[in-house]
Amino acid sequence: MGDLFSNLGLGFSTVFQFVQWAPPLLGGMTIPVPMNILLCLIGALVGTLVGVLPGIGTIATVAMLLPITFGLPPVGALIMLAGIYYGAQYGGSTTSILVNIPGEAGSVVTALDGFQMAKQGRAGPALAIAAIGSFFAGCVSTVLIAVLGAPLTKLALAFGPAEYFSLMVLGLIFAVVLAKGSVLKAIAMIVFGLLLSMVGSDIETGASRMSFNIPELADGLGFATVAMGLFGFAEIIRNLDAGGEEDRQLVQNKVTGLMPTRKDMIDSTPPILRGTVLGSILGILPGGGAVIASFAAYTLEKKLSKNPQKFGRGAIEGVAAPESANNAAAQTSFIPLLTLGIPPNAVMALMVGAMTIHGIVPGPQVMQKQPDLVWGMIASMWVGNLMLLVINLPMVGIWVRLLRVPYRLMFPSIVVFCSIGIYSVNNAPMDVVLAGVFGLIGYWLVKHDFEPAPLLLGMVLGPLMEENLRRALLISRGDATVFFTRPLSASLMAISAFLLILAVLPALRRKRDEVFVESES
Amino acid sequence: MTMSCKLVIEGDVPMSDAPSHAPGHSILPSWVKGPQDFVGGLALMAIAAFALWASSDLQGMHGFSFGAGTAPRMFGILLLALGAGVMAVGIFTEGPSLSKLHWRGPFFVGLAILSFAFCIRPMGMIFSAMSSFLIAALGSEETRWLETIIVGACLTTFCALLFPYALGLPLQMWPTFLMR
Repeated sequence: MGDLFSNLGLGFSTVFQFVQWAPPLLGGMTIPVPMNILLCLIGALVGTLVGVLPGIGTIATVAMLLPITFGLPPVGALIMLAGIYYGAQYGGSTTSILVNIPGEAGSVVTALDGFQMAKQGRAGPALAIAAIGSFFAGCVSTVLIAVLGAPLTKLALAFGPAEYFSLMVLGLIFAVVLAKGSVLKAIAMIVFGLLLSMVGSDIETGASRMSFNIPELADGLGFATVAMGLFGFAEIIRNLDAGGEEDRQLVQNKVTGLMPTRKDMIDSTPPILRGTVLGSILGILPGGGAVIASFAAYTLEKKLSKNPQKFGRGAIEGVAAPESANNAAAQTSFIPLLTLGIPPNAVMALMVGAMTIHGIVPGPQVMQKQPDLVWGMIASMWVGNLMLLVINLPMVGIWVRLLRVPYRLMFPSIVVFCSIGIYSVNNAPMDVVLAGVFGLIGYWLVKHDFEPAPLLLGMVLGPLMEENLRRALLISRGDATVFFTRPLSASLMAISAFLLILAVLPALRRKRDEVFVESES
Repeated sequence: MTMSCKLVIEGDVPMSDAPSHAPGHSILPSWVKGPQDFVGGLALMAIAAFALWASSDLQGMHGFSFGAGTAPRMFGILLLALGAGVMAVGIFTEGPSLSKLHWRGPFFVGLAILSFAFCIRPMGMIFSAMSSFLIAALGSEETRWLETIIVGACLTTFCALLFPYALGLPLQMWPTFLMR
């Protein structure tokens, strides 16, 4: 317990750290500036700003804004990225409530009841409940991360290469099982990602693999490049198909009366609590994350409700539960990343990408070697949530106005902004071209009903998997049964196999699809 | 880079369809029940085959330790099998037909990205940003030129302030021939 407080204390002192800043005009005079708080604030604001733009999801937002954090010191950069992530998620829910265009799969369910509420002139309470629910979920999950962080790190240190490999397999299988759509196609996307991660030089022998003597490929495909292409550019191209304008039913009446009534609060308290618990659990699972959490929370509320016919017609419970669940999941999904070094979903994969660029290899060692980084990030989550609550509600008016920006002006801006961003990472024009290519690939994939998110996950896990597989086999002197004879590894493998069989069984598939059906009804 | 060739080849099939008739039943044989999965699986197999070919010169297993080529080959074969699986699903189960790929959006957005990549070194950021903004704007039928030019200029100015000053990234602003 004492550990917990000292850890959180370290975190908060990192977040509230003052940096001496010498403004250029004052001639050597320095002003103390709470650097990390400011970065968190800017991150949350910019994240919301981009996340609010219709059709741009959380992953796309984080991918697009990655380059702007590269110039910062590692702690600041990660705090800012975390802020961007929450901001983006919050922005996404604002869009789904006000315009009925969910920026990402996670807020699809919020749109169901949120937009109905907005149509009934209750956009204010809907937004407020979303923010309050998110904040509450954020507080709970911050504590949860702090509690679970240290013991899980200890567990992780007991892992050998064989266990790591099995754990990653489990994570990938979870990602497939909990995702929407065809299991086979999702696995194919993961393997495609693994294959892409092989491009570049081999870690052990240094031999160049599949790089065709292109110097830019010698180091492998840049992670930021692929992510921006697959999510940034591909989403723009796909949105252009839709034609943009006609399906935007912006709520025209002014957003008035932000505060929810007493009844609203009473109605939404139990859903917020249940959503938080459900979201926290689903977030920790490898492969879980915000999307499945919000779907599951909505389904649960509908099942528990005394009058389920209210759902889809502006029930405040239908906003409160998924919003708390997705925020809780968003935060607890940091747990596998920070303790085990394994990203459980695509956004966390982006976080790994950012950490790698700063020279940090996520995993149990980080917790021990750079405690200020990990705990600073954890504390910043809570601060970020508080900021979102304080800043965003009064700024709803601005976000609404942003929603009126026509897509025909928005998309060229995003293209240019992304191009400059990618170029600035390495000052390499080739990276921009590659991102463009991946944009087209991403568009093609989406058109053929392949999800790009597992691809990204596979790409990040590829080198880690290969390294651990090699090591495990080297230690066991080529004996492949090592994964099934070591007890921990064997049980992880058994769970993976079990999950995979479950996912393929028709009866369970129907159950799984049922959870996602809400989006169509 | 090599990926792009493949993409164009795959993309050509549905793109060459005349817009008047429903895509799907024109090129593919009638025993394919789910054209979307069929084509998707085929493309994955092509990618896998290409990767296997590209990594064929790498060293394989020696003794019980992995060579540089072992893992790429492993994943390549796995993807080949999965692609075949997706294709089989496309043959045997009813599925959606190919959705129409539009050419205008992808083409101009792609062109804008390319033009940025080729202009940034010789021409500097101001010119590249503005020109790719205008090229990208061609990707939508709804573009109105006056507002596009104004917004493009504003965005260019914003980026010219944001990246070098606020973020401290050294970017060349003006064309090289003007700087000398």
